[in-house]
Amino acid sequence: MRDFTALTVAGRHRRLRKALPLGILAAIAMLALSLPVWSDVGFSVFSFFNTFQNAATLGLLALAVGLTVMIGEFDLSSIAIFTLGGLLAVKFGEASPMSGIAIAVAAGALLGAVQGGLLVLTGISSVPLTLGGYIVILGLCHIVAGEGILAYGNYDIGIWLDDPVALLFSKRSLLILAVFLLLWLAMRFTRLGSTIRSVGADRRAALASGVSVSRTVAGVFILSGMLCALGGALFSYSASVAKYDLGLDPFIFAVTAVLLGGINVSGGRGNVLGILAGVVAMSLLDTIFIQLAMPTYLIDLARGALLLIVVLIEAPDLARSLTAWKAGRIGAAQAKGRDHSKPLANSGTG
Amino acid sequence: MKPPSPLLSVERVSLSYGRFKAVREASFSLGAGEVLGLCGHNGAGKSSIVRMLSGLLRPDSGQIVLDGAPCAFRSVSDAQRQGVALVDQELSVIPALTVAENLALGEPGLGLRGTLPREEARRRLDAVGLDHLDPSRPLEDLSIGERQLVEIARAIGRDARLFILDEPTATLNTADIEHVFKAVRRIAAAGCGVIYVSHRLDEVLALCQQIVVMRDGAVIAEQRAEDLNAAKLVELMIGHAPKPVTKTARTADDGSRILEVSGLSTEPTVDDFNLAVRPGTVTAIAGQVGSGGSDVLRALAGLAPTAQGDVMVQGRRVPLGAPRRSISAGIGFLSADRKGEGLFLSRSISENLLATRLRALSPHAVLQGSRMRATARKIASRIGIDQNRLGEPVRRLSGGNQQKTFLGRCMERDDISVLMLDEPTRGVDVGGRADIHMLLRELASQGVAVIFASSDLEEVLSLADDVVVMRAGRIVSNVPVAETDNVRLLSDMTHARLSEQVA
Repeated sequence: MRDFTALTVAGRHRRLRKALPLGILAAIAMLALSLPVWSDVGFSVFSFFNTFQNAATLGLLALAVGLTVMIGEFDLSSIAIFTLGGLLAVKFGEASPMSGIAIAVAAGALLGAVQGGLLVLTGISSVPLTLGGYIVILGLCHIVAGEGILAYGNYDIGIWLDDPVALLFSKRSLLILAVFLLLWLAMRFTRLGSTIRSVGADRRAALASGVSVSRTVAGVFILSGMLCALGGALFSYSASVAKYDLGLDPFIFAVTAVLLGGINVSGGRGNVLGILAGVVAMSLLDTIFIQLAMPTYLIDLARGALLLIVVLIEAPDLARSLTAWKAGRIGAAQAKGRDHSKPLANSGTG
Repeated sequence: MKPPSPLLSVERVSLSYGRFKAVREASFSLGAGEVLGLCGHNGAGKSSIVRMLSGLLRPDSGQIVLDGAPCAFRSVSDAQRQGVALVDQELSVIPALTVAENLALGEPGLGLRGTLPREEARRRLDAVGLDHLDPSRPLEDLSIGERQLVEIARAIGRDARLFILDEPTATLNTADIEHVFKAVRRIAAAGCGVIYVSHRLDEVLALCQQIVVMRDGAVIAEQRAEDLNAAKLVELMIGHAPKPVTKTARTADDGSRILEVSGLSTEPTVDDFNLAVRPGTVTAIAGQVGSGGSDVLRALAGLAPTAQGDVMVQGRRVPLGAPRRSISAGIGFLSADRKGEGLFLSRSISENLLATRLRALSPHAVLQGSRMRATARKIASRIGIDQNRLGEPVRRLSGGNQQKTFLGRCMERDDISVLMLDEPTRGVDVGGRADIHMLLRELASQGVAVIFASSDLEEVLSLADDVVVMRAGRIVSNVPVAETDNVRLLSDMTHARLSEQVA
């Protein structure tokens, strides 16, 4: 027999989760397009180009964070791997940019494998493990950077990467979009998607179903490390410089984009296109604030408020509490009405 | 002529958890085309045997021989590759995935594909009676029973030689159970072996050719099913004939009501539910899975935000939709999902027993260790849990002992006047079941009104004083147990005309 309650509630949440990332993106795009109406600045094609450039810079970092969240983990070291990737690419890629990228990605894979392997072998929580990883990798960044900043002399590659394509994009942003698309296709049409989501949703059930949980967890950490390092390398080539410490802002951007993108923090739900929508929405918001020349603290306030609103909209307990409160009020009113008319009937049946 | 070698031989297999010996030199065999019932008291070692056969655990000694070759499974997927398919005791499907994705999850030989071909998914669903189900539907939209059938469909569709079904019908209604039986018989007819673990002895006797009984980790008997009956089986499982549950004599109705429910509705399942319960009685809400009994209990426990109706406990109105209000009104509730909505599996038995009475054990907000230990020991002795195990995590207990621990939370408390239990003995063996029934009768004799929802006719008839039968969210009948029998109950639960329902 059907459980109709489950159908209604689960279905409603599913629809909401699906619609929210695109809804947010659409709302922010409307806000951008309406700029000339309520302010003295406009939103040009170049503004959109800048939005995609910003999305290209932090997109892969957000994708990496999103994948680890999907398997029910949290990789705090991702920003450090992103930084190290940039430094290694600059240090070893001056003569051959591809070699620089290859070295950076290999280092990212190695660091992901070490952390993922330790996670699987020890069963400890990913938060303390990757916090340790973050500190250690930042130390490595200092060793690689030496003086603190590495300049990249091969300007041609940066110019080539950021050269506009069809007015809106650059080769770098198209490359990042291609990575997103590739991963979306892999997760949509191969068993990768269901495997990752099953491990994030319920490891015991995944194991009993025959899924290799250890291999999946380690694999996602390796993939995450590679994506971070690739993102860092491309960013450094574009900026022609690599710093040993980028601070936590890029990481906060990535986590916010992941949450706006509908990825469930407890794992098992969400998709790659949602993360992309979250990244583009955040980048668009940043571009609007830059156009409006707003101070940083206001940008932070707006980002934080947006995140809180989205989290509250998605919160299942909020909806439940509101429904209970409403039902309670209706019930109390009905009971009051009955109390005035007749006593509660002794309702023995049969 | 040399007899054919068995499909599976379990040879002197032992397994320990720390100092606790869960399986002691267990041996039995299963022929191709046979269904073997694995029976035993909770903690007898059945689950450990299943876990070793499915690659979740490795035996300390002894060996498992499959098709004549000794096997040492390194993992579940390794066991699958070697021809073992498992339906675990706990639901092992993923609500966030679709039915088709769940069917393909962990399937060896699919390569990169994430789903089975549509016809294959259709064939597997049809085999367990889910012919109406669209494979592209999200699993979270299905009832628990349907999810269980999807898991069974996944296992029986695999290219395996040995199928292990551990309590596959615990959440299913009569029609669904029949589908499972048909599927199992089909698998056996194809020459595969099936190990069927169930506490429902009638199922085991009806389906299996061979029955292995375990007790205290050892194999006590391995017999043909036709040589056994339920009574003999029970005696083998617990070592003696079970004591019958003694009901207190029915007292004359003095008109006192401890719980009154009027016009209870929970959209869209329950409609206009009415009930009046006297103190010291046991009331069953009987019905098939999904008939509405569970929803009634959840609503009374404050767990259904949209529930409407009037509820009074000891003459005081209880607002619906707020679990704290229900608790403070004296309503205790034990969910059917003891792992998801009850026990803290990684915490100790002691912590679980005391979890709901911490306020009483910390008069000035400071927990009193000695009082806590004494209370835990007292409850443990009352519910029959070994006091030396109080420090162990609850997840190490067998299903029956977990359920007793869950029930123990509501024992030795003065603040509970109405105790509600949803499927109180689901997945519990016959011995544990008798213990739980006895504990519930004991509570009733102390004046507590016990209400339980159950789809188990035998349980309803043996435990309850009054029986309310529900179907499609409405009351079909409400009678004292002496005025009904299993034929009428089953008829009310399955096909009596709703127009006969009680107003």
